[in-house]
Amino acid sequence: MPEASKMKKPDVKLVLLGDMNVGKTSLLHRYTDRKFKDTVSTVGGAFFLKQWGPYNISIWDTAGREQFHGLGSMYCRGASAVILTYDVTNWQSLAELEERFLSLTDTASHDCIFAIVGNKVDLTDPKAQLSQDSSGVSEDQTEHEEERTEPQVLSSCPTPPASPASLSGITVHKQVAHEDAMALYGRILRYKGLEEKSSLPAERMCFETSAKTGYNVDALFETLFDLVLPSILRKRNENQQCPTIDLEECRGASSKRARFCC
Amino acid sequence: MAFLRQLDSSSKACQLAVVPSAVLCAVFSDAFVEMSVKAFELVPAVERDLLMGDKARINIECIECCGKHLYVGTNDCFIHHFLLDEVTSSKGKLSYSAQKLLHKYLGLKKPVAELRAASALERLIVLCDGIVFLIDMVTLETVPSAAGGGAKIRGVTAFCINENPVNGDPFCVEMCVLSSKRRTVQIYMVYEDRVQLVKEVSTPEQPCAVSLDGYFLCLALATQYMILNYNSGASQDLFPYNSEERRPILKRIGREEFLLAAPGGLGMFANAEGVSQRAPVNWSEGVIGAAVCFPYVVALDENFITIHSMLDQQLKQTLSFRDGHILQDFEGKVILASTKAVYVLVPLPLERQIQDLLASHRVEEALTLTEGAQRNIPKDKFQVLHKRILQQVGFIQFSQLQFREAREHFRKGQLDVRELISLYPLLLPASSSFTRCHPPLHEFADLNHLAQGDQEKVLLYKNFLISYLGEVRNTEVVNVCREDVDTALLKLYAEQDHESLLDLLASDNTCLLTDSIPWLEKYHKYFALGLLYHYNGQDSAALQLWIRLADGDLQDSTRTDLFEYIVDFLSSCSNLDLVWTYADWALLKDPTIGMHIFTKRPLSKDVSQLNPDDVITYLGKHSQALLLYLEYLVLERRIQKEKFHTHLAVLYLERVLSLQSQSPTDEAQLTTARERLQALLRESNLYLVQLLLDKMENCEQLLLERATLYGKLEEHERALHILVHQLRDFRSAEAFCLWASSCRDSAYRQQLFHLLLGVYLDGSHRGQSHAVAAGGSGELEMAAVDLLNRHGEVFDAISVLRLLPESWSLQLLRPFLGRAVRASMHACRTSQIALGLAHSENLQLLHDRLKERKKQILVSEKKGCHLCHNTFSEPDVVCLPGAVPVHTHCVAHRVRDSPTKRLLTNSSNHT
Repeated sequence: MPEASKMKKPDVKLVLLGDMNVGKTSLLHRYTDRKFKDTVSTVGGAFFLKQWGPYNISIWDTAGREQFHGLGSMYCRGASAVILTYDVTNWQSLAELEERFLSLTDTASHDCIFAIVGNKVDLTDPKAQLSQDSSGVSEDQTEHEEERTEPQVLSSCPTPPASPASLSGITVHKQVAHEDAMALYGRILRYKGLEEKSSLPAERMCFETSAKTGYNVDALFETLFDLVLPSILRKRNENQQCPTIDLEECRGASSKRARFCC
Repeated sequence: MAFLRQLDSSSKACQLAVVPSAVLCAVFSDAFVEMSVKAFELVPAVERDLLMGDKARINIECIECCGKHLYVGTNDCFIHHFLLDEVTSSKGKLSYSAQKLLHKYLGLKKPVAELRAASALERLIVLCDGIVFLIDMVTLETVPSAAGGGAKIRGVTAFCINENPVNGDPFCVEMCVLSSKRRTVQIYMVYEDRVQLVKEVSTPEQPCAVSLDGYFLCLALATQYMILNYNSGASQDLFPYNSEERRPILKRIGREEFLLAAPGGLGMFANAEGVSQRAPVNWSEGVIGAAVCFPYVVALDENFITIHSMLDQQLKQTLSFRDGHILQDFEGKVILASTKAVYVLVPLPLERQIQDLLASHRVEEALTLTEGAQRNIPKDKFQVLHKRILQQVGFIQFSQLQFREAREHFRKGQLDVRELISLYPLLLPASSSFTRCHPPLHEFADLNHLAQGDQEKVLLYKNFLISYLGEVRNTEVVNVCREDVDTALLKLYAEQDHESLLDLLASDNTCLLTDSIPWLEKYHKYFALGLLYHYNGQDSAALQLWIRLADGDLQDSTRTDLFEYIVDFLSSCSNLDLVWTYADWALLKDPTIGMHIFTKRPLSKDVSQLNPDDVITYLGKHSQALLLYLEYLVLERRIQKEKFHTHLAVLYLERVLSLQSQSPTDEAQLTTARERLQALLRESNLYLVQLLLDKMENCEQLLLERATLYGKLEEHERALHILVHQLRDFRSAEAFCLWASSCRDSAYRQQLFHLLLGVYLDGSHRGQSHAVAAGGSGELEMAAVDLLNRHGEVFDAISVLRLLPESWSLQLLRPFLGRAVRASMHACRTSQIALGLAHSENLQLLHDRLKERKKQILVSEKKGCHLCHNTFSEPDVVCLPGAVPVHTHCVAHRVRDSPTKRLLTNSSNHT
């Protein structure tokens, strides 16, 4: 059910990035609607407001299509967390993260955290075929078993639409190992000029998920929500210090002023 | 030729003839795609013949609307001025009538590219042939340049007005101008008769469109959009866009927020910081113009007007519109133009849009639209609307068996629960004043209509109502209709055989009696009905009903222990008349349990108490019950009244006597009966001893009882005689001594034991002298020895030694003698110690006294007395222990008032 709180101002922003057809929209659907639904290729972007304790977290689902690539930095601006999503059955989708999407995060908040998520792991990993999600997933699963219709089938999508066979144990070749994602995480830290020691460890920030079965999906989002809380508090603090902000004034002067008055 | 066909053209048919609504619906759904909402209506404003008549080459180039004034610029360099009046028909249908005021040729032979009104200055800012200049809003005459400043700007490709200027001067307008050659943006102040350049900023590429808010310029460059702060020079790239390929659109939609045409036919939102705070809407590639009319984004392309919701980004309505040319919003009014005519896009009232959505059961959208309108509607009006929509949504979900959602919406919408109850036939009490609200919240007549005869569904609906009413009955929402709610709940519980029926009736409730009686009777809930009678203060009716039930005249298996329940009820019933009326029935049915009416009565002050004498009189005919009642009074409540004790003792005795007279006698019963009698005789001090003695005069068997009675009379010798000589029960004799002296001092006990010893010894002497039976006298001697050895401490050893026959061996009495010697030694030594201690204490005190006497005591006029806190005025003082000087009179006072002293005086006064 969509939140009734559409008009609330979000406290913090999470952005899902990644090539088309890796399952960004499905991940968000699975988390918010507890379902694996038929999705169409996202146009532009969409967002969802999640109430997390006393905070409103906006989660932006972006379009993976090349056509909308230019808009990515708009969505990423000021983001507190970026979820870089790839498809474990598609090596190229991981490569694209580094080639195309990483630069979009330049506009993100300076303390932005990164998660790397390999989706569709139910296709390669038997343990992910059993849903972890307790609430009524089993029925959804049967309901939607034949509905994994990837949009734009004409494109070079290496994953076939989900068929009953995929659940009965026949797995697809896994092209991206968990270690590859962890290595990418290390490179991202270097790209951002961050110390590996002082950053969140790769084991914690690299996930393998299945939007279809719900495997690891809650863990992904909720880990990130907990990790961005400090960022919310910091933002609130800043707002309290200068309740009415003239953005232009603040940019140059207020930081200096704050330093003096202390 | 402008060709317009509104998809909802059925509205015309509606005006012409009365068309059955079903037919209308069919037309409607035919014309509309499923997702659509009717949010806007396209209304013609200025028709072709008013503008260019049949001159085919003349086209509209630009429009401006300011209040009722509409200005139209054409490609033949004319400006037309119209007065636009809104006309509302009697049926609420809106139309426009346009009156042409003036038209004016600007003399440049080029199309009028842009028109903007500066109403405060009464000027129109015109862009024509690359020149910006001012004309009078009324006369349309070009304004001559003022001395010292020009009113013309040349080489302009586009301009825009700042609707949110930082400059506060109301008599000038801030304008931003893009010039055709240099890569710069110029900011001008426009006055009545001149324009003044105030700022010029350069841009990285040639800008081709601009929008302005505060200091923020939103620019479309050749390859991208950017935000530029003309005051600070700070810039922020937004996103790439090829302006040569597609005409850029940038539209200020609010404070520091812009709507931009993005690649892929997206309508993208961006604020001055370069952040997108709303999800984009999906237009077609060929969008010409866009505007925001909250909560909708309206866009125009070659063939259609598309309307998206900003709340959920969905396409809500599509209107066919050929040759569309211009779409602009002026102070909230969206105006469109084809090349030949002008139209107004009139938003339908929000409530109608919402109702349309609800009618097609699109609840989420209806709620989103309602909630999205919150900031556009006054708060109180919004709350009324929001509540109503929530309730309607609740009923739709209710009808679809989505109870969880329905419940939530009913709750949030503070639904009058009677709206819900009234759907269920017969649940509302006949006396309820409720009528459904108008206009109705739903289209359902009742539950049968909803469930269409499906009994499973009916059950689901009923279970929902049960849980919903149970949830709300304790909340404020039902304050006005508690009776209706509780009565409905009672009916449902009864009908569904629900376990909570009894809880409802046993707790605070407002169930209406008149309505509930027939209902409970219908479902054989007699026990529950009794509870309801009781709750309504009709205990008599409740009891009558329950008794019929207990006697099997009525059937209701609610309680298997109904009899116990009734007894319990009577035992706490405050109406004593009822207790007397129904006690008979209960005692006859089962005296032991029935007795609880009297014996289990709570002893608190809240319950009116029964007079025991009345009960005893009443119980005269129920002998067993009477005994139980007396036992209750005497043994349990320990009421100290001679009458009850004697009565009980007599009843016990009679029972023993009657058991004895039976043959054969039931020994077990007899033993119990005697034990009871004996216990009472021993423990009670109140019964009439003589009366009982008289009663058992002729019974030789009740010797023990008689001994006890003699004990009570303090005729101990007689008692012991019976025990020793008649019963020869030495254990009992000893026990008698202990019992008879139990509340007395040790001397009394000693006396008794000596008496017993005397009886033993006398008996043995007499036995020897009379030689009755050698064994018998020996037995008494042994009893005496045992007594001495067992209870040696009681006796006075010296007088015992005098009594004892010489012949007795020392060995025989060794335990007795040993203990006696030891006790005597102990007493001697203890007293010596006590004496020593007293001596030393005395010495100590003497020592203290001497010490105190030696001490100095300082008395001065400044020092206060510890008792009265006044100062000393004379040297005579009394010194309290610890060298505390006090006034002599204070001490005297204190001694007089001391508690011990007071006690003495008081007692002397009274005696």
